[in-house]
Amino acid sequence: MAVSGSTLPVRSRSGVDPEALVLEGPHTYRVHTRAYTDPAVFEAEMQRVFARTWVYVGHESEIPRPGDYKTAHVGLQPVIVSRGDGGEIHVLVNRCVHRGSVVCRSPRGTANYFRCPYHGWVYGKDGSLAGIAMREGDGGYSEHFEAPAGLLRLPRVASYRGLIFASFNPEVPSIERHLGKAARLIDNKVDRSPAGEIVLRSDPYVVTYKGNWKFQAENIVDGYHFTFVHEGFVKLQERYGDATGDFGVHRGRSMAEVRRIRARGVSWGCAQGHGLSAKPVDRIEPLLEGHFGDYYRGLLERHGPERVAWIAGSGAMSIFPNLGIIHQQIRVWRPLAPDLTEVTVYPYELKDAPDEINQGWLRSQERFYGPAGHGMPDDVEIFALNQQGLEASSVDWLILERGLDRERVDEDGDHEGLPSGETPQRAFWRRWKRLLAEG
Amino acid sequence: MAPEEVGVAGLAREEAESFLYREARLIDDLELEEWLRLFTEDGVYWIPIDDRKPVEWNTSLVYDPPLRREERVYHLLHVPFPAQAPRSRTLHLVGNVEVTAGDDGAFRVRSHQVVYEVRLGDFRQVGLGEVRPIVARVEHVLRRVDGQLRIALKKVLLIDREMSQSNLTFII
Repeated sequence: MAVSGSTLPVRSRSGVDPEALVLEGPHTYRVHTRAYTDPAVFEAEMQRVFARTWVYVGHESEIPRPGDYKTAHVGLQPVIVSRGDGGEIHVLVNRCVHRGSVVCRSPRGTANYFRCPYHGWVYGKDGSLAGIAMREGDGGYSEHFEAPAGLLRLPRVASYRGLIFASFNPEVPSIERHLGKAARLIDNKVDRSPAGEIVLRSDPYVVTYKGNWKFQAENIVDGYHFTFVHEGFVKLQERYGDATGDFGVHRGRSMAEVRRIRARGVSWGCAQGHGLSAKPVDRIEPLLEGHFGDYYRGLLERHGPERVAWIAGSGAMSIFPNLGIIHQQIRVWRPLAPDLTEVTVYPYELKDAPDEINQGWLRSQERFYGPAGHGMPDDVEIFALNQQGLEASSVDWLILERGLDRERVDEDGDHEGLPSGETPQRAFWRRWKRLLAEG
Repeated sequence: MAPEEVGVAGLAREEAESFLYREARLIDDLELEEWLRLFTEDGVYWIPIDDRKPVEWNTSLVYDPPLRREERVYHLLHVPFPAQAPRSRTLHLVGNVEVTAGDDGAFRVRSHQVVYEVRLGDFRQVGLGEVRPIVARVEHVLRRVDGQLRIALKKVLLIDREMSQSNLTFII
């Protein structure tokens, strides 16, 4: 189905049957191998998931002033996220509407206009066609020429606490409705900043892995894998603790202690497809009296004791379909092919927090994440192992049934479960299945 | 002959080359405890994403002061982890070595290095058995400590440092 006149091409149904890919019963939850491997499924995802829902494209602090831009992707569609003269944000498809060349070759920058290098067509910050080179004259365009309005513009753009989302679907519900309970967890992360604002300043880590994008969406809220995939990291914690820059982020110095700590907290699987997990701090007092007492007392004053326990606690989110928030980072996964995915980790700073806190978190990320870190390379290695394993297509199903009997549906219609259950992953697949079934 | 071709007073290019070759051999042979001892007491191993930005405000691919360097080597030698199970085999090619003197009495040695890396194990599997070139300009700051050359800083500038990377969980 074409969206908003001229957006996406009409595609025939691909023959993908979501009912046959996700098996649900009272005591059953299984996902078919083909959901991760089949090119037809991948194509259907680009059309029915990435072109239909909100997709994260960037953060406002990356493009603070009019004329600032960054490039991003909505599924496979390359876009430019551009700040207009009035401060408004436009999300434009990075393709000259004349003969198809890209109009922007830098990942980030500042520009008054985008000029196509091929024939010199010029577009404004909002994507509108500002000029056609040599428009009249010999060989030019006649008076009957219907000039296009400009770069293809995504019909919906919204931001929440600085996070920018865009959608190809003009009918997509509001961003607040899309985020649902995830908005509360985003608030908790952002309100760690005394100014209630996060800022992306550091360079990101970019890693590409040979596996399906959904492995990353599932894994960022997988409470079950840590003591296995990151057993080596726990051993480093035993030996080095905070001495090499963990900044108290990873608690527990032995496998037993890590398991005990990780068994606390709550996880949710939201109707919108988000997987969430959160754990409040047990006691706020040690923080108030600690080295960063002033900072925590400020948070307490602003948010009250009950919220501060959650704000100061930990949380991880997989926001459907392509955004993760964990630690002190925004993570974006970008599908490239059924078996190829790019992950970008953007560490962020808490505006107006003590430098020592922001630098401490950054060192902690440096130690765990990135292609040479002591954690993330193991996760993406597992994703490649999964993809390799699924070559064995003679086995039909993957099993996602942990904690199935222990979850309840809460007042928001979300599933609430225990930390190392697979409640968040099931929520992802439920939404995925529904979107694919909508055709 | 230009000064950089013969080295500077106190460090001939030939000696700098021998030092870099030895370092490369220790890394490729996984003699990493020995590699650690090549550094000064406060020596740093650094693989930046952008070396023009202050390290405290910007993430690096690796920023290893002494204890972190030790941790990295301990991890590689004594703790199995998925990204190095099976291990990488590496081969360093070192060339274009130039020596200059720093005004702080240290020697600056610049080289071009191509590191070929391959994961061992069942080479028919995804991610294994694929030889990858890692291309870098490497800048060493060397000092003499008790007559021995020691690394005060090893800065590895990958030519694709701000771009997407695969597994880099080995010493470059």
